[in-house]
Order: sequence, then structure tokens, then C-alpha cells
Amino acid sequence: MPKYVMVIDVERCIGCMACVIACKKENGVADGYFRTRVVEEVRGEFPNLRMELRSELCNHCENAPCIDACPTRASHRAKDGTVQIDKKKCIGCKACILACPYDARYSTPEGVADKCTFCEHRLKEGRKPACVETCLGKSRIFGDLDDPNSEVSQLLKKHEATVRLEFAGTSPRVFYINKKFAGGL
Amino acid sequence: MMIELSITGTNAITFPHLEVWDWRIVFYLFLGGLSAGILVMCSIANLRIPKQPVEELAQCVRAPLIAFIVLAVGALFIILDLGSPLHLVWGYLTFQPLSLMSWGTWGVPAVLFANALYILAVIPKEQRHRLKLPLLIKLSEKLALRMRPIAKLNFALGIFLGIYTGVLLSSFAAIPLWNNATLPILFLVSALSSGAAMVVIIAKKAEIKFLFTKIDIWLIVAELVVIALFFYGLYTSTAPYKKAIAPFFSLTSEHFIFTLALIAIFLLLPLALRIKLGELKEFEDGLHAEFTKAQIFRMNFAAILVIAGTLILRAAIVYAGQLTKLSAY
Ligand code: SF4
Ligand code: SF4
Repeated sequence: MPKYVMVIDVERCIGCMACVIACKKENGVADGYFRTRVVEEVRGEFPNLRMELRSELCNHCENAPCIDACPTRASHRAKDGTVQIDKKKCIGCKACILACPYDARYSTPEGVADKCTFCEHRLKEGRKPACVETCLGKSRIFGDLDDPNSEVSQLLKKHEATVRLEFAGTSPRVFYINKKFAGGL
Repeated sequence: MMIELSITGTNAITFPHLEVWDWRIVFYLFLGGLSAGILVMCSIANLRIPKQPVEELAQCVRAPLIAFIVLAVGALFIILDLGSPLHLVWGYLTFQPLSLMSWGTWGVPAVLFANALYILAVIPKEQRHRLKLPLLIKLSEKLALRMRPIAKLNFALGIFLGIYTGVLLSSFAAIPLWNNATLPILFLVSALSSGAAMVVIIAKKAEIKFLFTKIDIWLIVAELVVIALFFYGLYTSTAPYKKAIAPFFSLTSEHFIFTLALIAIFLLLPLALRIKLGELKEFEDGLHAEFTKAQIFRMNFAAILVIAGTLILRAAIVYAGQLTKLSAY
């Protein structure tokens, strides 16, 4: 089983939002809904302000509370290690949406739960997620952490990375690199 | 330090706060709890006197029927809330021990089934002909002989039903207001209290009304203590948990409604308690077979206050919980 992770080099994001749109287009996400977002966070006292542009999406957590909450096994861990939703099995009880500490999920107009899939369909073809492929600043980097030669492995060896809400104990697979910004996440 | 956020790509259902479970879930939690309480209380009534011929044993005969109807309506509310109820079959092709939703999926029909057996077991002899179907009449005759074990089973399932909804909410680590061990106890106690109140309302025998008035006094006291502990526990916890109770203590914000809910709970329950204590005094010199109209009115009024308190409590916790988050936004 590969260990697909996404590394987000926060300093390289230019805030073009191409990833947000590419994801919507690639996955046919309904109007008014999003699977990924970009948070613009400004901190400090004028004139000492610092801004972080931070992409957020489903973390494909290793200890995923959304999977535990699901009564039908619609939310499950797929063979490739990512967290996926089987829409046929989803009863739309919304327990997983409440269980996710990252607000990564939403309810589609059809009444089933939905979220980022790491572009599962593309991974099968050996391609990268749409948001990663479209990222102008190369802020989103994707790969297999079990492969020591992959770009993500190299990056995470070189830099100290953080995850969102580490204390929640979910062991996210989306890592953030940001050397200058204290706070956030 | 100033923090300013602007977010591109938010979903209205999760931002600025969760709007996932609404009044339908509130009614489900309320009716499920009420049904649980009634089941436990009528089981107590029917199990109380150990040595009596089984046929004369049942003291509380309409309560199981009312519990059944209440729970069935409650279950309807949760089905109304499901986005894809037709997929429910998948819920019955698996059991997920870590999912409290799964416990509910299996648990509610199981309780309804045991409850149906209970209804048949307590139907008095002279009423059995109303069942119409000969098969049901026969079944009722047979089950009547097993009334005691069936009542015990319903007692246990009533406790399960009363506590599991609280465990369901408390299992969401992402929601600080819900994620603590006092909540299941609070839900259980308030469910039992509302069940006792309901039995007071529907009971005809003076003896039963009085018994459950006494039981409810203890349950209301316990409920008030657990509510206080619930808030205190969150207040002394870490930042997101401390913040979670803020809506209940803000007089100025848009969340004033939660303060109102809290005030209402703390008015209704103690008032009900006072009325009940008054009744206790009145009957100190022994029970009379007949109540005066005023006495009946007072008992029913106190019981309605308790039931209203239970509903307000659940509504406030469901809604306020969804305003709270582990993350900063
Ligand atoms: S981020 Fe949320 S939806 Fe994604 S795996 Fe973790 S808990 Fe589940
Ligand atoms: S909404 Fe669907 S995926 Fe989420 S917990 Fe319920 S059944 Fe599972």
C-alpha cells in the first residue's frame, strides 16, 4: 500500500486559486460547493503584518474519525490508503461531516457526503491530483511517502513540517511547510 | 495581535459554523429519550411487586404502547433527516461497532421489537379480544406468562436507548461542547426524568402517580447537578472546550437564545421540583384513592415542565454544539 501524502509549501502559494477551480472542474463539484479551499490569514500589529496563504483539503487522516462515525462503511479506507466515500452506500446521515475536525466534508445536493478524493481516478492512471498539476507556484506537492526517493519524502526530510490540529490525534497526510509564519493551521 | 481571515472555497454547511443537524435530530433525540424513559419507568412499575400472579402483575399497561408510538415517530424524524434514506439497506448489511450511528440503526428497531412484545405481554385479559387477529391473541396469552423477563429486557433496552444518543453526540471529538463524558449521563438522566413525568401524566392509579412523582424528584435533582457539572467540566478544560460554553453565558451576542434556553431550564426544572415536593407533603398522611382536580392539574403541570425542560436542553445542546470547533475558525 503506498502512502500518498500532500505537502503544501505555504510560502510558494501566490493565491491564484487555480487549484480551487481545477478541483471543481475535474471532479464536477456542484455549484456552491468546494473540495478544497485557500485560507488567507493575516497576523500581527500594523506595520508588522504577515500573511499566509494556506491550502486546505481532506487530510486523508490515518486515524480518520469520519470512517469510525460511518454506519454503513460508505466512508472507508481504499486500497491505495486514501480515505474515500462510496456514494452508493451513503445514507446521508452527516455523522462524518460532524466527525471531521477539519470541515473537509459537505453534503451534495443529492444528499450524500462528499470531499476531496486526492483525485483517486487520476492516481489509478499514474497521474497527480488536478490541484497539484495546475499549481502555478508549485505550492502543492504530491507523492508516495513510502518511496524514499519521491519529492515529498525528500522535502519532509529536509524541512520541518506541521499538520493541522495535531492534538486532535488524526494523523493527517497533508503536511505544511512554512518557516516564517508562527501560528495558523 | 490581530488575525484576519478570508477564505476562498467554503461550503455553507460548514462555514462559518456547522449547520448539519437541525430540528429533526432534536426531535429524534427528544422522542427517543422520552420513549427510553417511559420504557424504564413502566418496567419499574411492573417489576416492583415480586410475588403476585403474573396476570395481575402489570401496573402500567398503556405506557409501553405510548413508548412505542413515541419512538416510532422519533425514528421517522431521523429518516426525514437522511439525505439518501433509500441507501439505508447498507446500514443493515453491516454493523460498525465504532459508529454510534450504526448502534442506532440496529438498536432502534431492536427496542421497537422488544417494546412490541411488552405491549402484548401487558394487555389485560379482558382487552385481548381487541387485538382481532387470533394469532396475536394467542401470542399475547403466551407472552403474558413471560411478562417479568420481558419487562427486564425492556428496562435494559430503555437504558441503552436513553444513553446511546448522548454517547453518539459525545463521540464527536471535533465538537468540543459534545465531546465529554458527562453528556451521556445528562441525556440519560433527563430521558429518565421525562419518562417518569410522562408516566405521572398517563397513570390512572393514584399509587402509580405517587410512586413516579417520588422517583422524578430524585431524577430532577440529579439532572440539575449533572447540568452544573457539564458546564463546570467544560469551563475548567482547555481553550476550545472553555470557548464552547460561551454561547450559554452571553447576554449581548446573537447567541442570546442559548442564554434564554439555559435560564428556561433552570426555571422549569426547579419549579417542577417544588410542585412535586409540595405533592409529597400533601400525601404524607397516606394516599387517597381519588385525587382532586387541583391535585391532578398540579401533577400534570409539573410533568409538562419537566418534559419541556428535556426538549429545550436537547435543542440547546444540538444547536450550540454546532457553533463550536476545535479549529480557530
Ligand atoms: S480530513 Fe476529515 S474527512 Fe478527511 S480523512 Fe480526516 S477526518 Fe476524514
Ligand atoms: S453521511 Fe454517508 S459517508 Fe457520512 S457517515 Fe453517514 S453514511 Fe457514512
